[in-house]
Amino acid sequence: MSTAPQGTHSLAFRVMRLCKPSFPVDPPFRIDLADLFVGEDIFDDPLAAANLPPLLSTQLSKSMDSSDLTYGSRFILQHPSDAMGFSGLLLLPQSFGTIYLGETFCSYISINNNSNFEVRDIIIRAEIQTERQRILLLDTTKSPVESIRASGRYDFIVEHDVKELGAHTLVCTALYNDSDGERKYLPQFFKFVAANPLSVRTKVRTVKEITYLEACIENHTKTNLYMDQVEFEPAPHWSATGLKAHELHPADNSSTVEVFKPPILIRSGGGIHNHLYQLKLASPESAQMKVEGTNILGKLQMTWRTNLGELGRLQTQQILGTPISRKEIELQILEIPSQINLDKSFSVHLNLTNHADRELGPFEVWLSQDSVHGKKNVMINGLQTMVLPQVGAFGSSDFHLNLIATKLGVQKISGITVSDTREKKTFDPLPDVEIFVESD
Amino acid sequence: MDGPSPTTDPLRNEFGSLNDLAHELASLQDLALRGSWRSILDKVSRARSLDLLSKPHDHLIYLSYNVLALTKLRRFTDASAEIDSLHDFNSHQYKYESYPQLYPSRSGSMVPFSLRFIHAQLPFKLENRQEGLDRFYLLLSFIRQKIKEKGSNSFQESIKIWRKRENFVLHCLIGHHLGAKDFIVCLDLIRDLIDHDYLDPVLISKLGYIQMQVGDIEGAKGSFHRVETMFNEGKNDGYSSLSEVEFRNLVNRNKALIYLVGKDYVSAVREYEECIERDHTDVVAVNNKALCLMYLRDLSDSIKVLENSLERVPTVALNETLVINLCSMYELAHVNHSEIKRTLSNWIAGVAPDDFDASCTRA
Repeated sequence: MSTAPQGTHSLAFRVMRLCKPSFPVDPPFRIDLADLFVGEDIFDDPLAAANLPPLLSTQLSKSMDSSDLTYGSRFILQHPSDAMGFSGLLLLPQSFGTIYLGETFCSYISINNNSNFEVRDIIIRAEIQTERQRILLLDTTKSPVESIRASGRYDFIVEHDVKELGAHTLVCTALYNDSDGERKYLPQFFKFVAANPLSVRTKVRTVKEITYLEACIENHTKTNLYMDQVEFEPAPHWSATGLKAHELHPADNSSTVEVFKPPILIRSGGGIHNHLYQLKLASPESAQMKVEGTNILGKLQMTWRTNLGELGRLQTQQILGTPISRKEIELQILEIPSQINLDKSFSVHLNLTNHADRELGPFEVWLSQDSVHGKKNVMINGLQTMVLPQVGAFGSSDFHLNLIATKLGVQKISGITVSDTREKKTFDPLPDVEIFVESD
Repeated sequence: MDGPSPTTDPLRNEFGSLNDLAHELASLQDLALRGSWRSILDKVSRARSLDLLSKPHDHLIYLSYNVLALTKLRRFTDASAEIDSLHDFNSHQYKYESYPQLYPSRSGSMVPFSLRFIHAQLPFKLENRQEGLDRFYLLLSFIRQKIKEKGSNSFQESIKIWRKRENFVLHCLIGHHLGAKDFIVCLDLIRDLIDHDYLDPVLISKLGYIQMQVGDIEGAKGSFHRVETMFNEGKNDGYSSLSEVEFRNLVNRNKALIYLVGKDYVSAVREYEECIERDHTDVVAVNNKALCLMYLRDLSDSIKVLENSLERVPTVALNETLVINLCSMYELAHVNHSEIKRTLSNWIAGVAPDDFDASCTRA
């Protein structure tokens, strides 16, 4: 990872990534003395049951007496949980590992004088270089290190929040006077790559006035991610509520609920977790202000933790809702009679509203033929196309459509379509409406 | 001395010393305590070839030490073959009642339980994790069945021992699932133990470490708080029998971890120093303190702490994790670190038990 120039330098940089340490786990071959000295069922024998425990107890104390210099603890169980092989001993990071966007890169840097002479007036600089920028992490120019003795060291720790993907170079430089009084310059480069830890896929669905945002977070890292916080930050005029599924363990034993709640962990290498948000426009008036084109809903902010709470933070780009199409004409059903009889004409009260700032129309209203379902069971009674006159800007017009149902039971009024004959524009049909058709 | 005589002598306690239990057991145990596993292999081999083992239980106990020695020397295939030579643990030939002259009025299995445990654990070392898990879960069923049987005969001491074994196997399972990062399974197994009123402060602390490992810091704090409450209320479950010093140190070490996670290494060091002051053999405190010093940019002192512990309490401090940490520090502190690592290796060679994995020095 490091590239150092040729030539004789008294100094050399040593670098070690200092992410959090870890707990090694290795279930050991450690046993209870009772399981080694005697047969497993010997305690059924009342003589053994009475006399063995004291002998075993003495042997155990003898094995564990640290003043006696024994390695008993390497094969004898002292506490039951010793069998787990998870002692709480911490281990330093053993490899550089992978660095992810959103994490903090932390490194121990040691500059060693491996010559037999003192060096003086050392100016040390450390910076991170990426494709786009250079970030200074350390600079002792204003107060140079006076000296580093032979075989001595000067240490420092640097931190950098990783905000870019791809190649990064940690550049460490030292400018110093060596024992001959010569001013020397030592640059050393340590390269690493920042990878993408997560991806977020979103789906937006609108039902009446409510927009639902489904966000699926996928974990691309090599460890499980504990999602500390996942929050949706809505755009202005929007409000958001997170929707959660019911708890999986409704009948929790209260003593364990105190101890822990199962954590939400996204499995490494492709695991996913879904979040659902309900979004509403903050005020009804802003519904009128829907701008044509894009519809910005907000951003998803994520904070995750890995080993020993190592923190990572990312937010998504702006998430877009479905583009608003220009709704110039709105057709609604105002009233359907409560009693509808077979083969008897009934009247449906409709309203046509013009949302545009200019006069539109004249219009034609009909029931579109649905080629999939073929013959309809609810049809217009009379002329199949209804003609409506123009409607002024922001105006509306009520009208009645005479329909007739030719089949009993639950039926659908489907495909009520309106078109502007002058502008030759046909608008989307009204959604299906269910009716119940009774006999005479 | 040989094993028990065929007729019971009421004046003689046949469980008075180790040599009453098996032929020269005291000597075998002494070798094991010193970590002289190669010598154990020699002794067993000699006993077998000179036909010194007269009783069936002697053979089984010697076989157990042999198998244990082989695993300690990381000769897992050989250990497996040796266990397999028994064919079936539940065979008639390993039951006391099959030899009424030798074991009058005694019945049941004379197989040392450690053999069943090692049999379950070996597959993990032979790259067959699924087989290992299966064996452990089967062993758990076997133990539970035994407990039921003993219960109906009210063998109190026996039940106690088998319950201990049940607990032991559960802990092994937690460890293996943890090693494979099956965190949810681990948490469920621990939750199960706690639900059955198994309140071992060491286990609950380890639950906290697992929660920390996963990133659930608030969860870990909750677990540690629970342990501290148990300490303050003087609760100490019969299973774990912590001494007061051990319990205090446990609480301090848990606190230190919370500080460490919050990057307050100074406070973490302070907690660990309190532990070491109380018990200089607390190697977890010593090791972790050294790491905190390093995160405080004090590489020199972190090295000193580890070197001093090796010198002062070698039999406690000499473990692979501590040595790996020390070598990592050497690699950072010295451009030419091979010499200092060689010195360490040589020292270890003179002091370490046979089972110490010397490859950890990367020398």
